[in-house]
Parts: sequence; structure tokens; C-alpha cells
Amino acid sequence: MTKSVNSIGMKPSNAVDLIGMEFDPYTLAVEQGKIRELALAIGDDNPIYYSLEEAKKEGYKGIPIPPTFFQVVDLWGGLGTTDKMAKLKLNLLRVLHGQQEYEYLGDIVAGDVLFVTSKVVDVVTKTGGSGVMELVTSENRYRNQHDELVAISRNTIVHRL
Amino acid sequence: MFYEDIQEGYEFPILVKDPVTRVQLVRFAGASGDFHPLHLVEEVAEKAGMKIIAHGMLVMGMLTHGVTSWVSRKNINKISVRFSKMTFPGETIHIVGKVLEKKGDNTVLAEVFAKNSEGEVKVAGTFEATIPSKN
Repeated sequence: MTKSVNSIGMKPSNAVDLIGMEFDPYTLAVEQGKIRELALAIGDDNPIYYSLEEAKKEGYKGIPIPPTFFQVVDLWGGLGTTDKMAKLKLNLLRVLHGQQEYEYLGDIVAGDVLFVTSKVVDVVTKTGGSGVMELVTSENRYRNQHDELVAISRNTIVHRL
Repeated sequence: MFYEDIQEGYEFPILVKDPVTRVQLVRFAGASGDFHPLHLVEEVAEKAGMKIIAHGMLVMGMLTHGVTSWVSRKNINKISVRFSKMTFPGETIHIVGKVLEKKGDNTVLAEVFAKNSEGEVKVAGTFEATIPSKN
């Protein structure tokens, strides 16, 4: 990980020092009501999120989480956006969500409890047309109540200097 | 749909979502826990020289709705996206996808895009899924 030197005299940030920073672990029980709330907000009418019977037809033991539900776990179980940006010392109004990746390793259904560890795994500084940007990637690992690793999330935020 | 029936280059049926509304952004904020003011408070957006924008994760949620309308939720192994353009209330998001590669072990790699009605790409990504075999 190298930090590029910018030529326009802008004060370099210390974001590269964030690599390896760990956030406090957090936990959240997966609730059917939160699953339904998210599915409704997205406008996702897949019956598996609303009916246990339909979920069972698809081979689930319970009502499964939508693919992006990890955001609910992160924000309601862990630090909110404002606190997370404060911990990273990034300006909330100058950050955007750049990239997001989810790996699904096991089923997660209502009633499960998720235990999450989270750390900064990469920081890259780029100079583009709109100036200098820092790309900060965090990796979250989700384990269930049986200590099975059920998902991994990689989240890259773009901080415009 | 079976693995044997899928060809590389196969285009999935387009999912057209309802237009994004301001109320939806409030609803999504509560659901997700992302209360970033740029999605909710006009004055804050204006102060930042912007307009109210949709949560990127709302559009990714729409994108994964498309993916799970094509492939069973249970068979999705990985989804990876890049947020390209901002989405504004009033825009209608279309989810389009195409099979890029059939892999040996009953899995496929496909591309997926969330675009507005003018074809502007908002979110671009790929997914990997296991497709059941006829046998």
C-alpha cells in the first residue's frame, strides 16, 4: 500500500495509517420485523422475506435476510455512519460509498444472532479529475450463534479531500 | 432455469422498479439505519452544493432484487458492485444482467447494472451463483 504524493500542495491525510484499525466487535439478533422493513423499503416483494412457508419452500429453516441486510446489522448493531466516520477521522459530508461486496457462505435467517468483527484492510489515495480521493476499505466478518462464518462484507468508502 | 439451459451471453429479463420517492428514502433510512443527512435534509444537501440523493445501498438493494428475481436467493454466492452515479428521487431504476461465464462447477458469473430510464449506469457489478443442474 503506497500513498501517492500529490503535486498540488494539498496537505496529505493520514488515512493510510488506518490500515489494520479494528472497530469494536458487535452483535445483533436477526429479527423478522427488520427483514420485512428492509424488503419493503427496497420494494422487494419476494415472498420468502414475508412468509415462513414460502421461505421453507426455498429450502430455508426460517425467513432469510435480503442480500444487503448486512447494512442493517452494521448500522443497528455497530457504529452509526456518523460515529464510524468520526472514528476514521473522515468528513461525513465528503464521503461516498464507492464499492460494496458480499460473500454469502451460509444461510442467515430470522432468529439467528450475528457476531461481527470489522477492520480497515486497505487505503488507497488516488488523484482524479475532481482532486484527491482516499479509498478506505473495511472488511466485516459475520459469524452466527454456532460460530460458523456465514458472510464477509467488503465496503469501500471514497473520501474526497 | 437449469445450468444446462444457460448460455454465455444470456440476458436476464429486465426488472423495472417503481420510481424512487422521498418517502422511500426516509423509509430506507429507518430500515437500514443510515440517517446521513444528504439523503433526508434538503438544507444540508444544498449547503454541500447538492440535491437530495438516494442511498447507494437502496439502489444496490434494488439491484439484488433483480438478481434474486433471476436466481434463487439461496444460490447467490457473491455480489460485488461499484457505485457510479448518484440516484435522485423521481428516477426509475432498471435492473439488467447478462451471463458472462459458465464455470465448471454449476456456477455462473454474470454482470448486473442498475440504470435509470435514460440508460445511465448508477450501480455496476457482478454476481456469482450456483444454478441447479437437470441431473
